[in-house]
Amino acid sequence: MVNPWIAIGALAVVAVVIPVSMMVVSSLLRPSVPETSKRATYESGEVPTGSSRAIRFNIQYYMVALLFVVFDIETVLIFPWTVVYDDAIDKVGLFRALGPMVLFIGILVVGLAWAWRNGAVEWVRSPRADRQRTEQQT
Amino acid sequence: MTFPVLATPLPDAIAETVGLGPDTVAGSLTGGLVAAVIIASALLANAAVAGPWAKRRVYSSFIDKVGPSRHGPAGLLIIVADAVRMLSKELVIPEGVDRPAFDLAPVVMAASALLGFAVIPFGTIAGIDIQLADPETGLVFVFAVASMASLGLVMAGYASNNKFSLLGGLRAAAQNIAYEIPLVLVGASVALFFGTLQLGDIVASQRDTLVTLGPLVVPAWYALINPFAFVLFMAANLAEVGRNPFDTPEAPQEIVAGHMTEYSSVYFVLLYLSEFIHIFLGGALVAVLFLGGPAGPVLPGPVWLLVKMWAVFLFTQWARATLPRVRIDQLIEIGWKGMLVLSLVNFLLTAVLVPFV
Repeated sequence: MVNPWIAIGALAVVAVVIPVSMMVVSSLLRPSVPETSKRATYESGEVPTGSSRAIRFNIQYYMVALLFVVFDIETVLIFPWTVVYDDAIDKVGLFRALGPMVLFIGILVVGLAWAWRNGAVEWVRSPRADRQRTEQQT
Repeated sequence: MTFPVLATPLPDAIAETVGLGPDTVAGSLTGGLVAAVIIASALLANAAVAGPWAKRRVYSSFIDKVGPSRHGPAGLLIIVADAVRMLSKELVIPEGVDRPAFDLAPVVMAASALLGFAVIPFGTIAGIDIQLADPETGLVFVFAVASMASLGLVMAGYASNNKFSLLGGLRAAAQNIAYEIPLVLVGASVALFFGTLQLGDIVASQRDTLVTLGPLVVPAWYALINPFAFVLFMAANLAEVGRNPFDTPEAPQEIVAGHMTEYSSVYFVLLYLSEFIHIFLGGALVAVLFLGGPAGPVLPGPVWLLVKMWAVFLFTQWARATLPRVRIDQLIEIGWKGMLVLSLVNFLLTAVLVPFV
């Protein structure tokens, strides 16, 4: 094997060719009967109102995505350390090999605790939804 | 325990068979392409058995009904019937869809699921090592490629111009990113224990003997060394493939299958198939990292890896039939407050344990 990435690239090509060829085969087989009401988006049988790209959704989706970026970069930085860790213990001892990583994860845990305390990982409900809920209960 | 002799990797074996040397670029390319076609076809066959037939039969047994039984022996021909039916259905494209994204999403999802298998070691059969490639960064590659599915989910949800789909896509993104970090951290703890990211090496390390109980030799499978990590990984994997109790992104009773609402015909087939291939990719990762990969008595390696992949698949179906769905707020709290903290604890515990083994 010259380079393992050649074979991986080959699978990448195959993995794209298979779905595309399935689409082509299907396009030769299937009928096409366009009707106006058939193409309406599904909204529980009602006539759809407004565009789906204009709706407001919960800010929480943005908060967790922001938090994810931090922790994802953390995992990227952890991976090289996992490979050299065993050799590093032999060379510089357990304390100097493990200490920096404990500090690094410690800083992240402080960040997580801060986000936790400020409710970034708690599902926020809009004031209107809360009001509706109390109205239903009374 | 069987210790394999030096085996030829599958692409090299093919390159030699067609008469091109395995050390030339042309030989690598031909061997790689043919091997890729073989592996991808085998996976599609697995997903085709799992999707229309096995899933229905298993679920039917759980809820005490019969399931598909009329088409051929044990209803197996329903696979053919469903394939022909879905491929020849009309493709209904709703008004106002974002066309390139709507068409690309099924391709992205299917490709990301298939590409993950490039580095999975399937074991040795007849002196040939069924593994496409074994790069040094195999584990990182699998995680990176598998997480591309979130991109496909968001594309499908956004492009459909349907409110249910948009919510489904957003939920899928929130869930995948929340459980990705525990999954990767637990995977990193396995890499830390064995000191390598190469999947072939991780499997080889698990061939050692852990303890000997009389005539029974217990191998050093990581699930036996650290069951805590195994449970964490299984839970995070369930969330990553979107199965109960973490199937909030699809939630047919709330948001009518989320990102799949507006998809029909072959596009739906691709989304549906890619879900099953993702479950099998998760199962293969569980097998390789925790259950010794293709190791097992009597039967050849690829058979054992398939058995382990199907075992994980049956576990997801068991969970699907028995566990209630968590709410989206519970999902976020379990992910960020529970799983993340536990996986960090697991990671540091592994780091402390490494010098003593």
